[in-house]
Amino acid sequence: MISLNTENSRDTKLDLANLTAEQTALEVKNLDLYYGSKQALFDVSMKIPKGQVTAFIGPSGCGKSTLLRCINRMNDLVDICKISGEIMLHGQNIYDKSVDVAALRRNVGMVFQRPNPFPKSIYENVVYGLRLQGIKDRRVLDEAVERSLRGAALWEEVKDRLHENAFGLSGGQQQRLVIARAIAIEPEVLLLDEPTSALDPISTLTIEELINDLKSRYTVVIVTHNMQQAARVSDQTAFMYMGDMVEYADTNTLFTTPAKKQTEDYITGRYG
Amino acid sequence: MTQSVSFNSSAQRQIKDRLTRYSVSAGGIVVLLALILIFFYLLYVVAPIFYGASLEKSKTIPLNDSHTTVAIGVEEQNEIAYRFNSDGRLRFFNLTDTPREFTDYQVDAEITAADRTVPNQGLVAYGTREGTAYVVAPKFGVSYPNDKRLITPSLDYPMGEQALSIDAQGQPIVQLAFEREEESAVVAAITEDGRGMLVRLEAEEDMFSESLEWLPELAEIPSLPKSVDQMLVTPDLRRLYIRSGNQLANYNISNIDDVRLNSVDFINSKDANVTDLALLTGASSLIVANDNGSITQWFDVAKDGVRKLTQIREFNAGTKINEIGVEYFRKGFAVSGEDGSITLFHTTGGGRLVREMTDSKAFGLAFSPRASGLLTESEKGLEFYHVDNEHPEVTWRALWSKIWYEGYPEPQYVWQSTSASDDFEPKLSLVPISFGTIKAAFYAMLFAAPIALAGAIYTAYFMSAPLRKVVKPTVEIMEALPTVILGFLAGLWLAPLIEDNLPGVIAIMVLLPVGFLATAFAWSKMPKKVRQLLPDGWDAIVLIPVVLFIGWGCIQISPALEQWMFDGDARLYLTNELGISFDQRNSMVVGLAMGFAVIPTIFSIAEDAIFSVPKHLSNGSLALGATPWQTLTKVVILTASPGIFSAVMMGLGRAVGETMIVLMATGNTPVMDWSIFQGMRTLSANIAVEMPESEVGSSHYRVLFLAAFVLFVFTFAFNTIAEFVRQRLRDKYSSL
Repeated sequence: MISLNTENSRDTKLDLANLTAEQTALEVKNLDLYYGSKQALFDVSMKIPKGQVTAFIGPSGCGKSTLLRCINRMNDLVDICKISGEIMLHGQNIYDKSVDVAALRRNVGMVFQRPNPFPKSIYENVVYGLRLQGIKDRRVLDEAVERSLRGAALWEEVKDRLHENAFGLSGGQQQRLVIARAIAIEPEVLLLDEPTSALDPISTLTIEELINDLKSRYTVVIVTHNMQQAARVSDQTAFMYMGDMVEYADTNTLFTTPAKKQTEDYITGRYG
Repeated sequence: MTQSVSFNSSAQRQIKDRLTRYSVSAGGIVVLLALILIFFYLLYVVAPIFYGASLEKSKTIPLNDSHTTVAIGVEEQNEIAYRFNSDGRLRFFNLTDTPREFTDYQVDAEITAADRTVPNQGLVAYGTREGTAYVVAPKFGVSYPNDKRLITPSLDYPMGEQALSIDAQGQPIVQLAFEREEESAVVAAITEDGRGMLVRLEAEEDMFSESLEWLPELAEIPSLPKSVDQMLVTPDLRRLYIRSGNQLANYNISNIDDVRLNSVDFINSKDANVTDLALLTGASSLIVANDNGSITQWFDVAKDGVRKLTQIREFNAGTKINEIGVEYFRKGFAVSGEDGSITLFHTTGGGRLVREMTDSKAFGLAFSPRASGLLTESEKGLEFYHVDNEHPEVTWRALWSKIWYEGYPEPQYVWQSTSASDDFEPKLSLVPISFGTIKAAFYAMLFAAPIALAGAIYTAYFMSAPLRKVVKPTVEIMEALPTVILGFLAGLWLAPLIEDNLPGVIAIMVLLPVGFLATAFAWSKMPKKVRQLLPDGWDAIVLIPVVLFIGWGCIQISPALEQWMFDGDARLYLTNELGISFDQRNSMVVGLAMGFAVIPTIFSIAEDAIFSVPKHLSNGSLALGATPWQTLTKVVILTASPGIFSAVMMGLGRAVGETMIVLMATGNTPVMDWSIFQGMRTLSANIAVEMPESEVGSSHYRVLFLAAFVLFVFTFAFNTIAEFVRQRLRDKYSSL
């Protein structure tokens, strides 16, 4: 049985199909994606609401991570990847020629499946993105480190060893450090690609609590193949299957009264 | 449900496991053992050069002779000693334990003066009351009756039994100096009435009897000092030294018709008086002994175009010195002191080798020809010592410090191990060849490290996968190229090419990087349509025509450049205008050739290190808004730094140990000069060049092993430091 998060925003349901411009953080329009000759995403369209947690679920290989990686153009790094369609951020297509990918990624942060701190100190990990922007003022950096680490619920644990190597942290701490690193540069959107799949249950819980806190400031998009997690942390859930966006609804609706048979089969564990 | 579970593995599996474990351990131990064996073998061969010398008395022979000694000596096998007395008598003494009797010989004349030559000539000259001279020498005939060596001594007259006329006036000779060099000889004599005579004898062969006839030319010694304590003629018959107290008169006698007094110098040490004077073997050096124990070495040094007798170094025997005895072939000598001590020195080695106290004061000293025995004469008679002094010329100082060698204007680091003559002073400084090794490695790394690392970074990080699959094995296969081919090409093709096209080659070095950058910039400004003609990561091949064009163009304009900037000949211009000497086989050639050999090593390891930086790290950086370049410099290179560092150190290790290329392309001149246009000699090439010609067990042979040992230490130190730093870097930056 899947327990649902029934507090706060869930009560005021959004009309996901007809979000206003102010409510929309991102809009995906008719996105097709090919890896070589193999199509991985089929005509995906969706609006992701601002300041909320949106989860992508679906069986392995359904394209949920691929879709996530389209949002900050990490798929550009794959040579054979071709994309058509648009993703609108602030009314601008991020796949437009004039877009600076680095600038885009500063606004759309991403946390990966495996904790990937750099081989530097905790402090240097957090300020990495700021240093890239040329910020050198010690006070600004110090302030950002504390704010980000507090934001990632890590401050109390590491405040006395900021200049030690980040590899000294546990897996869950490393993942929170990576989140702190991502929010240090104040992105609008935070993409989480299965952020807890490499972590133990207690660390998972901490991260999930953290995600709840984060949505007050950031639009969070999370990919997970753990349905309980999606149910616990997200406001909206999109179910994807074989590159198709099968169903996209508020989490409550999707898990209790799915509109599609495929969704129901998946969430009741008939396949996946 | 019951199930029988066995926790015993099968016997066969256990045997296999154990076998594997043992064979792996055995392999490791054998490798380690082999290394340690090499190390100890090198030490074993090298160690004797640092052993001290020793003297051991083996025989005492009493003398009853009222006449004083003119010369004592030992024949080569240390079996027979001899003594010439002032009456012209030659006696032989048995040094072996088997009893033998020898005949005495007598020069049949009334002897009034006598002198001996330097030991390796081994002659004695007697002056007579009639103003004539006899030259005699001991002769040792060797025969093998009953297959046993038998040495039969006798008296020999190497310049004929006829008396040589010295003084035309027939005055008795009271003092005499004599030296011979093959078919010439010089006698300096002082007659009873105080005239100094100089006679140069030239041999002329009689056509019929084939006997030598000695034709004299006479001259008088000008400005002869009032009292003459010692007279010495150098074996090259160019100099005559006359010591009068502490003053030394230095005559140039190379032209008998123009005998000139060059200079008169005080040669005593401070607050001391000279007691003896001797010519060191090879005859360029004078050894002066003083009554306070100080011994000084002097030779002519050219300063401001004038050759001047200069004190070079000083030794101390600690007591008044009675007599100096010099070795036959080496630059060693022994002194006997007033306190009964016998002390051995070596000039090049620069120190006292051994000091032995005896119970009697020796007033005569003579080395045996192989310097394995020392005969002394004291009031007790003749005493014979066995000398163990194999490698006096090799000391820590001689190997690593500046040494003032005979004939050099100043102390220098010199490697010159052999020459045609026996009495040559070996110059065994390891500094120039160690320097050469470092210099060769430096220039090779200067060329190879930037190219290999830049190539590795590009290949691992930017190049498309299909192109990388071609490029990486291609570079790695360069490593399989035998270095002898590289050395051969460098020496015989590249070196003349560079010499002929020097301006062009330098232009290539400047223009290639500039051309790369310009091309890259131009390419980035091309319209996208043009750029899309090449798939992502293939853009490097745009550079191929650029490289070819710049290379071809520079060689083409080289003559014009040479005409315009260097007056038509860059080499001459360098030498004459800039004062830079140019060797055809120089550091540039070595840097290019050895760099070429080192590139694959560095490239391969560095590329692996960069390529194995986890993708999730670089993605993490990119996701934070870093450009690929920022990601490369701030995350990828940092994470790969242990591997990149090892790559460079492996390359350096290879460059230091490399032999064939430096052997064939450096010219092997052991000069110490950082100039890129000069050659060098490296430790490895030096061993390869000289080992075949060195006598097993000689100092030279052992020093070559020492060079090998130094090389071993070099690479060992490099690798140890490299491994240490790598570990530190890995602890710090490894993300795995």
